[in-house]
Amino acid sequence: MSSDESQPVQTIEMLMSNTETIPGHSIVQMLGVVTGSTVRAKHIGKDILAGFKNIVGGELKGYTELLQEARGQALQRLVMEANSRGANAIVNIRFATSAIAGGAAELMAYGTAVVVG
Amino acid sequence: MQQEDAELLLSVGLFLLFTVGPILFSWIFGNIYQKKKQEELGARVKAFGTDNLTTLKTPPAQVSESGLLTANIIMSVSWWQKLLGGLKTIFGGQIRSWDGILDWARKEAMQRLREQASAKGFDNVINVRLETSEIQSSKGRNTAIEILAYGTGIKV
Repeated sequence: MSSDESQPVQTIEMLMSNTETIPGHSIVQMLGVVTGSTVRAKHIGKDILAGFKNIVGGELKGYTELLQEARGQALQRLVMEANSRGANAIVNIRFATSAIAGGAAELMAYGTAVVVG
Repeated sequence: MQQEDAELLLSVGLFLLFTVGPILFSWIFGNIYQKKKQEELGARVKAFGTDNLTTLKTPPAQVSESGLLTANIIMSVSWWQKLLGGLKTIFGGQIRSWDGILDWARKEAMQRLREQASAKGFDNVINVRLETSEIQSSKGRNTAIEILAYGTGIKV
């Protein structure tokens, strides 16, 4: 467990959107691209369970939850970086997932930090 | 002589149980399980009624509040489908087993996005994107796919 995982999530007020503007607001200032990422590997127990689940196919719930949680952390890091630049919103957020080594995946979120009025 | 026959039968039986058995199990129960789950999804989509997702970037009306929404799902094929798909790659052509799974996974992810949006009180979700990525187990034997659906929820 790293230290920033124990911190409460979403303590910072930040408007987020994957459109080019925050609907209903106008952009005052652009502060550049911000990124947030995390690399996760799966728990071996979950891996074995998923192996059994593979017999019938369908959703692998353990992994769904794991990646959801990991993506939440990536977003949180994105918010923290934007906050340190003095932004109050992030626009045009995109997600990217890449397989690093066997069993590990990197989840990344990136966007443009802006000040909206 | 009689005992030898019995031993032969037993060994062949055990051999088949541990080779064909799991595949057969996967074929029968995989079909039942997947059909059941897909019917459940169909019922959920029908019960939800309207489709509040759009890929358009501009909101339809004046917006009072907005927020980012994400929904994901990880899906995998059954052993039987994996075997079929593997055989099919020799000849090429459409791989039906993966076809069905991908389609189902996307529908499920989009339905989750819809439900999440309405649970959070958003009227519409604009600029919906679907992303697909491959997830592998540590030994690389099992491949699963992740579908991520995300968009901006708006209150009009």
